[in-house]
Amino acid sequence: MTEFGKLYGRTPAQFAADAVRRAVADAGLTLPDVDGLLTSSGMSGGFSINLQQDLGLQDLRLLTHMQAFGATAGSMVQYAAMAVQAGMASVVACVFADSPLRPERRSGSIYGTRRAGTGWWGLLGATGIVGANPMYALAARRHMELYGTTSEQLGHIAVAQRAWACLNPAAQMREPITLADHQASRWIVEPFHLLDCCLVSNGGIAVLVTTADRAADLAQPPVHVLGWAQSHRGRNLRRDPDFGLVTGAAQAGPAALEMAGVHLGEIDVAELYDCYTFTVLVTLEDYGFCPKGEGGPYVASGVLGPGGKLRLNTGGGQLSGYYMWGMTPLSEAVIQARGQGGDRQAQAHDIVLVSGNGGVLDHHATLVLGSSDAA
Amino acid sequence: MTVGPVDRDDATAEFFDGTAAGRLLLRRCEHGHYSEPAVTQCTTCASLSLQWSPAGGSASLVSWAITWSKEDEPTVLVIAELDEGPWWWSQLTGADPAQLAVGARLRVAFARPDEEHEAVPVFELAG
Repeated sequence: MTEFGKLYGRTPAQFAADAVRRAVADAGLTLPDVDGLLTSSGMSGGFSINLQQDLGLQDLRLLTHMQAFGATAGSMVQYAAMAVQAGMASVVACVFADSPLRPERRSGSIYGTRRAGTGWWGLLGATGIVGANPMYALAARRHMELYGTTSEQLGHIAVAQRAWACLNPAAQMREPITLADHQASRWIVEPFHLLDCCLVSNGGIAVLVTTADRAADLAQPPVHVLGWAQSHRGRNLRRDPDFGLVTGAAQAGPAALEMAGVHLGEIDVAELYDCYTFTVLVTLEDYGFCPKGEGGPYVASGVLGPGGKLRLNTGGGQLSGYYMWGMTPLSEAVIQARGQGGDRQAQAHDIVLVSGNGGVLDHHATLVLGSSDAA
Repeated sequence: MTVGPVDRDDATAEFFDGTAAGRLLLRRCEHGHYSEPAVTQCTTCASLSLQWSPAGGSASLVSWAITWSKEDEPTVLVIAELDEGPWWWSQLTGADPAQLAVGARLRVAFARPDEEHEAVPVFELAG
């Protein structure tokens, strides 16, 4: 992991290369040990498979650029795991980096700009539906209308994740907030307040995937990839009776748990993708932490935060920690599974559930990770 | 806030000819299924035999959200379900958000920001 936040003057490619170098050093390896590379860039683009040459990697056995938006990071680990299982590569670096923040640019302008457009996307933009904020707000409103979910209930997620972020030295937002702060924060797109929305960050994160045998001899406690699944709904902007109510997590979650051979009750830590507070709530429902439609009362019941029974988004997530798409939950999952979470470390951390969500609840990736004691 | 500017391209030329004439054109296959206009195959049966066919203009409210910004008046954004089936993401004009409810009956209307740009389908509360 690099540093995160308003770090100017570095390109996404530089953050990406830095993240890979750090991951390699962290594992006790050297760059020539890497024989596979999967790249993922964010809004600012700026690199692809050319990262290979930036890192001086030669004769790679696996190389591709991937895009499933917020589900990319979890998906990369899945493809990397299959590649090392098949013997196609032995050490696969999976990297995400982005640097959309500029000193003169408001973060809100990065993910939604309003200018004359063309064609179908221009038609949508002309109505004012630009970027993810209004689309997720429309999703959340459906949930609220059908199930009675409230803004205050969403606020419990924001408050709890900020409390976790206060314990995370890498988090960007480390001032505690209250439910009243959440309610008083300005509307972005109603029903979302500012504190329902994720940050925008510059930075990069890489993870290395290798065989269990090889991992056992490296510098860090190994984290095992026990199960995985994806779900891609394919109904973006189309008629979709489930829109905002059920996501790909409902398909991918149970499949990943089955592959791992564990039950939901055995999950010690959950790191769930949180582009908005609402995304966490609907993912909790879809994974089965509570019945469908009861996510609101569930998150308001005291289960969240450092004092709650649920170890959820323990680094502050993308709401308060850092916004590195699917690498945010994945990185915190690895830290927790290793037992390196410092003040925020979960006591039990053998089984860690990780979600990635991309598009407007269109793409989902689930990982079940295990600590060195779990395998 | 009114609608913003949008220009046609080859894929949207017939659609915007429709909006200029006050018609919301959908794609209809030989089995009578309606699809959103951007599709190249029927969303129900995968038929490639699609004709432009005007929607009746009546719809029901699926969801709504309200944009707030320093520059503009609040805008009500909606997902509407056309009576023909397809969903339409656009804005709702002239309505009090406090009065909205899922299933509220809507009527399509057309708005354009100026004479140089295309007419955009928007919705109003019906009746």
